[in-house]
Amino acid sequence: MTQIDQQVRTTFSGIADVLIPEAEGMPAASAVGVHKERLDHILALRPDLREAFFRGIASAHNRDPKSAAEELNAQDAAALSAIGLVASAGYYMSPRVRELIGYPGQEKRTYDAEAIPEYVANGMLKIVQDRGPIYRPTPKA
Amino acid sequence: MAAVKPSPVTAKRGETVDVLIIGAGPSGSVAAKHLSAAGFSVVTLEQGHWPDANNFPGRKTEFELVAQKQWHPNPNVRDLPRDYPVETSDSDINPLMFAGVGGSTTLYAGHWTPFLPSDFRVRTLDGIADDWPFTYEDLLPHLEEIEHEVGVSGLPGNPAYPPQNAFPTPPLPIGKAGRKAAEGLDKLGWHWWPGTNAIPSIPYNGLNPCVRRGTCMTGCPEGAKSTANITHWPHALKNGARLITGARVREIEVDERGLATGAVYIDENGRERRQNARIVVLCANGIGTPRLLLLSKSSRFPDGLANSSGLVGRRLMMHPFSAVLGVFNDPLDGWQGPFGQLIDSFEFYETDEKRGFVRGAKWGAMPGGGPLGATSFVGSKVFAEENAKVEDAWGANLHKLVDRRFNHMLIYGIIGEDLPEESNRVILDGKLTDSDGIPAPKIVYKVSDNSDKMLRFHVARCLDALGASGAIETQVVHQMRDTGWHLLGTCLMGDDPKKSVVDRWGRTHDVPNMYIFDGSAFPTSGGLNPTATIMSVALRQTKHLINERRNAEAA
Repeated sequence: MTQIDQQVRTTFSGIADVLIPEAEGMPAASAVGVHKERLDHILALRPDLREAFFRGIASAHNRDPKSAAEELNAQDAAALSAIGLVASAGYYMSPRVRELIGYPGQEKRTYDAEAIPEYVANGMLKIVQDRGPIYRPTPKA
Repeated sequence: MAAVKPSPVTAKRGETVDVLIIGAGPSGSVAAKHLSAAGFSVVTLEQGHWPDANNFPGRKTEFELVAQKQWHPNPNVRDLPRDYPVETSDSDINPLMFAGVGGSTTLYAGHWTPFLPSDFRVRTLDGIADDWPFTYEDLLPHLEEIEHEVGVSGLPGNPAYPPQNAFPTPPLPIGKAGRKAAEGLDKLGWHWWPGTNAIPSIPYNGLNPCVRRGTCMTGCPEGAKSTANITHWPHALKNGARLITGARVREIEVDERGLATGAVYIDENGRERRQNARIVVLCANGIGTPRLLLLSKSSRFPDGLANSSGLVGRRLMMHPFSAVLGVFNDPLDGWQGPFGQLIDSFEFYETDEKRGFVRGAKWGAMPGGGPLGATSFVGSKVFAEENAKVEDAWGANLHKLVDRRFNHMLIYGIIGEDLPEESNRVILDGKLTDSDGIPAPKIVYKVSDNSDKMLRFHVARCLDALGASGAIETQVVHQMRDTGWHLLGTCLMGDDPKKSVVDRWGRTHDVPNMYIFDGSAFPTSGGLNPTATIMSVALRQTKHLINERRNAEAA
């Protein structure tokens, strides 16, 4: 098994919801579509995950997702790790999830490089300076 | 033997040049710029390619995902054709590096921490390892010159260092995470200083100012992290230096007099080529340089080139590293950059034998990263417990973990001095090869008892500091495996040809027209990030070669 068909999406969706359920005010993995186009996108970005991912999914077909995840954790941790990374990466790339956790992505932030830093203005750094040098100087030859 | 008579023209293919440099990383780029400016004809061979900032993932949604593979600092994880593999089954630490113009600085965090005066006098002060053949004060003018080429940002007056000239650009913001760390250190009366970074805060020497995107360690898409492809190569090329990328050097050749005549390399089409030169300078890092010397065996040099001391490849130092994570109630904007050091602390840098070990370590406070970073550090999954049950790290606990940690973390990275031991070494592997069939290096490396004790002490003090800052939760990763960023010491610099590989000017004792200007020559490693010192030493050695051009031996 190396292709993403409907059976793979269904099995992955089940395990993904075990790993990332609806709880703590957050949606389940399947609710933000980790098993849809995002699954194809993630595996295209990380083809190195495919082998372990499909191995884990194959062992979980037509089984209770929770017990399948537990068995993978005990017997094929690499496969569960691959499935978990695909699920969590897709989940935290979702705009809805990012909005919920307050993560705008790695964005630009402007600042005034010439402004006097707060730690200078409030005297914090002067305390460090006033304690004096802490290095050992070069010994005299 | 003929002295070098500089010919200030661009070298043509097939022409014998004044200087062949192997490696376009920090040291090779400094050499290329300054030698070409002095009128030498220069060719540099680089196995990687020019980095394309458009390929760096920092602006892309999948940034964290690809940081764990395609942009991981471990070449064995990346597994790209231009990387060479490294056999690490007998090593406690994985070496990290990047092949390309700019070298491993493509992926570094830009921490700019020059060696301290005591780092050059370890034998005299602490009775161990070796003194350098020159002092901090000897190197300082070269450091100050390099800092102006690199565009360092920082604030002068740090009491951890002797006084020096001001940095060329103002310090970067330390952010909420840096301030939180500083508050704890202040309560304890411990040293801290706003981070000094090779990341300018204003436009400088072709670099854009940092915009705090926080993706320094997967390449800066803003062109705001100082790497030699931006700061040095435009000048070198303008001077007439020639840079050949995709060129993997297989061997340095010597003539019947024992002088280096150039190098054989494989171009990116798999063709074997030869570049002849009057002088050869190796700048291929602490693994690549000894690998190449060991590959260059001949009847005259049966143990590898410049290896009559038997020290080529030995004394590898990689800086064992631990990380301590603190979680706080307050939001710290933990994904914001720079991913250089926000603040650093040298409180426990110098030796105090009452601690049970010698030498010390520098701490750098860094932000926590994005949501996937809640369980990883620089692309490696480390903060997750081993043997965890599914529900420990997943399920509702995942949501709780991310809610608690994401945006609320700061991490202390501890870089402890790695003392040289001849048993820690680079050799050639008998089976593993790179994509051109050239034997790969094998690393034999064990973390010493001194390093282990040092890191445990520093971890305990970092926990004290995080507690003083108000951390509600902490986690320690002791001696992370994927942390061999700093590859040093494998071609020892010293005055005695029987006990060292190169002299105080970087010239190999055995091959008088061959030089090593990279971190391989370092007698000791310091307990901090070495790029500032690598570039400063490269400048010192390059200037000496320029000044002595009339006396330099040449093929």
